[in-house]
Amino acid sequence: MNKTIEYIRPADINEAVNFLDLNGNNTVTIAGGTDVMIDLRSGEISPEYLLDISRLPDIHGIGMKDGLLHIGAGSTINIIARSQDVYRFAPSLTKATETFAVPQIRNMATIGGNVAHCSPCGDTVPSLLVHEAYAVVHSISGVKHIPVSDIASGPYLTNIKKNELISSFVLKPVTDSQFSNFEKIGRRKALAISRMNMAVILSKSNNGTVDFIRFALGAATPVSKRIEEIENFLIGQKPVEKILWQAGKKLADIMVAISGRRPSTIYKEKAVQGLFLRLLHPVINCK
Amino acid sequence: MYNNQIKISLKINGQENTVHAPPDISALALIRDILKLKGSKEGCGIGECGACTILVDGKSVNACIMLAAQLDGREVLTVEGLNNGEKLSIEQNAFLENHAVQCGFCSSGLLMSTHALLSENPNPDQNDIRKAISGNLCRCTGYHHIVKAVGEAAKQSAGDENNE
Ligand code: FES
Ligand code: FES
Repeated sequence: MNKTIEYIRPADINEAVNFLDLNGNNTVTIAGGTDVMIDLRSGEISPEYLLDISRLPDIHGIGMKDGLLHIGAGSTINIIARSQDVYRFAPSLTKATETFAVPQIRNMATIGGNVAHCSPCGDTVPSLLVHEAYAVVHSISGVKHIPVSDIASGPYLTNIKKNELISSFVLKPVTDSQFSNFEKIGRRKALAISRMNMAVILSKSNNGTVDFIRFALGAATPVSKRIEEIENFLIGQKPVEKILWQAGKKLADIMVAISGRRPSTIYKEKAVQGLFLRLLHPVINCK
Repeated sequence: MYNNQIKISLKINGQENTVHAPPDISALALIRDILKLKGSKEGCGIGECGACTILVDGKSVNACIMLAAQLDGREVLTVEGLNNGEKLSIEQNAFLENHAVQCGFCSSGLLMSTHALLSENPNPDQNDIRKAISGNLCRCTGYHHIVKAVGEAAKQSAGDENNE
């Protein structure tokens, strides 16, 4: 039997969404393409069309606009890791992208792919969550905004429809007085599919208590998410080591409540607590 | 089997080339099976070992997980493009001199990662070197000699530039 597969490279985003509207169900979209080739070869996917959006001008570019940080969904992990704007306005994302996999993968993988794939261990997601980022989503009906927190409905399950395309992410920038950080635990340092990752933005008032915090946990739970119990617990507190340990313990309990007990839980409980302390340790002494 | 073909035009190792290929093959298959450049190796085929590392528009990528079609209009460098004819490149020489090659299966990928590093950062320290080759697995050497070779290659090419 002869089966055909067609490769299509649309000229602009309108052409792309028009195509997806007609053929979305039989189409696999390629931006970085890191997963597509593997899935094609293993037979995991057998689409009729490969839609290569990697060169669409609409999904590239990073910069501040109207006080918000815009990151094109087609930006490779490496481009984000080197962006001065990202470093200044979303430093936790710089850290997440600098330590993402290996150079070869950083040069191919895109932030759009990392988010849309909804892998529980997508390393860019916790940072996007603490920046209350939304995705700019295109379809033939127009453009809408979807909070990144609403994109994953489960591990590898996305709420982005087959006829929709993410063009960019829009983040609330950090201010000079805010502390921000990202930490993760991976298997092998380099290839690092994270087993656990977390991001935070925090600031302290004049009397040294936490007056602002956004915190997100990924990989240890089925989808990455903000953990409000931890935010509420820390707000108004002086972040001294003892309090951070307590918060870390709380976080471990929350993780177990979300994911249930497994053989790995004994390790993960300690690890999540330790990682949380590492994430926030710098704020103990900073203003 | 797919019966349709697409046209891919690329510049590879300085030469313009146009080929016809099935739309679903990897960049590595294009390079090895169609262009018959056998220097780039396939180790894992899933983007984990780096044996297939090539440079696309100067950036290192794993050719095994890239679609051949993604090379259309791009400039590609493979290990064959590092040297001119019979003469070894600085990287190749340094690998040879520092015993960084045993079975050699990882070498072409490592040479490409080295080349990418040196074109961006002519004075890498140990840490830069280790990071730059973190996507290349070697099951023979234990990396020590490789790291040394990359450092030597850096010194060598810095020296060459000063002489020019
Ligand atoms: S063969 Fe491409 S990374 Fe292993
Ligand atoms: S020399 Fe054998 S794998 Fe590196």
